[in-house]
Amino acid sequence: MDLTFSEAELAFRDELRSWLADHHPGEMPHGDEDEQYAFRRDWQRTLYDGGWAAVHWPSRYGGRDATLTQSAIYFEELGRARAPLAANVLGLLLAGPTIMAWGTEEQQDRYLTPILSAEEIWCQGFSEPEAGSDLASLKTKAVRDGDEWVVTGQKVWTSGAQHSKWCMLVARTDQDVPKHKGLSYFLMDMEQAEIQVRPLVQITGEAEFNELFIEEARIPHENLLGGEGNGWKVALTTLMNERAGLGFFLQVRMRNVLDDLVTAAVQNGRIDDPVVADRLGDLHLRTENLRLLAYRGLSTIERYGQPGPEGSLTKWLWSETNQLLAQTAADVVGADALVAGTPWAYELLRSRGNSIEGGTTEILKNIVAERVLRLPRAA
Amino acid sequence: MNFDFSEDQHEIKRTAHDLLAKRSPLERVRAAAESRTYDDGLWTELVELGWPGIAIDEQHGGGGLGVVELCTLLEEGGHALAGSPFLATALCGLVLQAAGDDGQRAAWLPRLASGEVTGTVGTADALVPDADGAALLLLADADGIRLLERYEATVEPVDAIDPTRRYARVSAPAGAGSPLPGDVEAALDRARVAVAAELVGVSARALEMTVAYVQDRKQFGVPVGSFQAVQHRCAQMLLHTESARAATYFAAWAADADPERLAEGAALAKAAASDGVRETTASAIQAHGGIGFTWEADVHWFYKRAQLGAAYLGGGGAMRARLARLAARRVEAVV
Ligand SMILES: Cc1cc2nc3c(=O)[nH]c(=O)nc-3n(C[C@H](O)[C@H](O)[C@H](O)COP(=O)(O)OP(=O)(O)OC[C@H]3O[C@@H](n4cnc5c(N)ncnc54)[C@H](O)[C@@H]3O)c2cc1C
Repeated sequence: MDLTFSEAELAFRDELRSWLADHHPGEMPHGDEDEQYAFRRDWQRTLYDGGWAAVHWPSRYGGRDATLTQSAIYFEELGRARAPLAANVLGLLLAGPTIMAWGTEEQQDRYLTPILSAEEIWCQGFSEPEAGSDLASLKTKAVRDGDEWVVTGQKVWTSGAQHSKWCMLVARTDQDVPKHKGLSYFLMDMEQAEIQVRPLVQITGEAEFNELFIEEARIPHENLLGGEGNGWKVALTTLMNERAGLGFFLQVRMRNVLDDLVTAAVQNGRIDDPVVADRLGDLHLRTENLRLLAYRGLSTIERYGQPGPEGSLTKWLWSETNQLLAQTAADVVGADALVAGTPWAYELLRSRGNSIEGGTTEILKNIVAERVLRLPRAA
Repeated sequence: MNFDFSEDQHEIKRTAHDLLAKRSPLERVRAAAESRTYDDGLWTELVELGWPGIAIDEQHGGGGLGVVELCTLLEEGGHALAGSPFLATALCGLVLQAAGDDGQRAAWLPRLASGEVTGTVGTADALVPDADGAALLLLADADGIRLLERYEATVEPVDAIDPTRRYARVSAPAGAGSPLPGDVEAALDRARVAVAAELVGVSARALEMTVAYVQDRKQFGVPVGSFQAVQHRCAQMLLHTESARAATYFAAWAADADPERLAEGAALAKAAASDGVRETTASAIQAHGGIGFTWEADVHWFYKRAQLGAAYLGGGGAMRARLARLAARRVEAVV
């Protein structure tokens, strides 16, 4: 066991740190969603120009062939610098890796670079009104018509669809086989009149996500990814990539917020309340646990080629901790944390989504029980 | 960066696991607990294998390895719930090595390493493991740690709820013994990490037993392990166990390689392990149903060991308070 960073890892970190010092975009504007989005898009372009948009991608696609540890360092450093999240986060973390794993050479040449440069933004069209946790039961239908597929259906909770050029769409292409087998995965152009994007206002009052109404939209056959009927397998690649690396960014960001909270508690004297101190100590424990579990997970992947139980545990622990953190802020900061439009108030509301987005906590627990502990499948 | 054991460390752990599985199955743990004895043969074997001295410097007759290696043994000891003065003696060696002066080390470390004598570490207001029978007692109080020979201390054996281990209350008149001159808190932190390692083993075993049981036990025509409430309980047990394990390995590594991070690491490890093991062993009883509440089932030994270990050298509450102080100090340094 050796938890020191190697020379190469330290060199990578220092190179990134000094680049970040020179190119930091400053603080994200507070409030207006469109302004924030534009800010994040500019930031991604800056990252791209510096060769820092996606270090975990292979260099032939514009990445840096970073090792797992370097990727972790990358996300930690972005978090440490309090940099914003790149605009095309779903493209960089989900669409890109899925296209690399399943795409033809033509598809890879066509789609990957514009993802990196934030020229083409991606969204994830998986969930439907009647297919959330039970994703394989989705109903959106794609029917072959010569060289094209004709798609009809409804998607929901589609984050960032309002900014997106492309959608990772999973649709049913065969009604007559068991539900997992009848799905296909498409790269759908969002710029067509047959797709209506309607914003859904969230608990925070913002509209990060949307409903998609799709009425005979057209997708050329060459935009099928991974072959007809393979949609479930391809979608699993996307889902598996959902949290790769991002966990480190989120962990550091949470740790920054915790430091702010401890500072507030020191300044207003609430740190002397043993209950407050106990909660802050617990939050400190949880955030560090998260980092250590995530790092241990990397070493497990390096040794065994596949993630250990840590992988399934970290998102669960992160969402629970982030929610506790926001809730504790309400006690420590007091009334100011409840004033609409303040960062604390925003976190208090936004964090409720953490245990739903990207797989609910209940579903994660099912996965741990059935696939890690090998308990019998629920009836 | 490699957060995984080296080949040698894996080998130490595997060997310890196999040895204890063979030499200390739960029937023997039970027999010893019920008769309030230890398996002296087991202790002799562990001594021959060099366990008590594994983390003691070679110049004092030890194995010269680190806290990481010691923790692999202790984790397996917790997993097997093996009864012996191993934990107490190993802690005594760790603390003495870290905070004793040259004379104290030269006088005692070789004897602890060779198993000629056993020792322990404790505080005057708590139950101290294996104090009765220990030749050397390290007693901590607000003024530091005193080194006491058995005759200098009053040792009152106590029947604790954990009969897999012997406990006692220890006191000594003011001025008795000789103080350890070194950094006492840092020395105790090493001991806390070692205790956490044992608790990780206890927690892991409680989970294993529970998974095995709920796969087997049928109600309503299906294994109870297919019920979601039971599955989610098991998933939570895994989260507790893995969190405690990651924190403990980090802290053990810090003790050996990065002592500046030991204070935080030890508090993280002891808090995660103490809170975690209380939850996992209680859950184990619940998931076993009525059987879990019987003397007959073995899960209660784990629950009992967990309770004593969780409180030993500071429980979750004390450790969280320390973490909060550390965090406050850090932000105050910045502000
Ligand atoms: C902020 C946010 C952003 C999102 N962004 C996207 C996006 O970009 N693209 C996209 O495709 N989706 C997105 N989603 C959707 C998200 O993936 C789903 O909301 C999620 O998978 C849950 O599905 P559901 O909402 O239909 O809830 P349901 O599946 O209806 O679940 C309702 C409740 O029942 C529980 N439940 C369901 N099944 C089980 C079970 N088997 N065992 C135990 N409990 C169960 C759930 O845990 C939950 O508590 C987003 C969601 C949020 C909150």
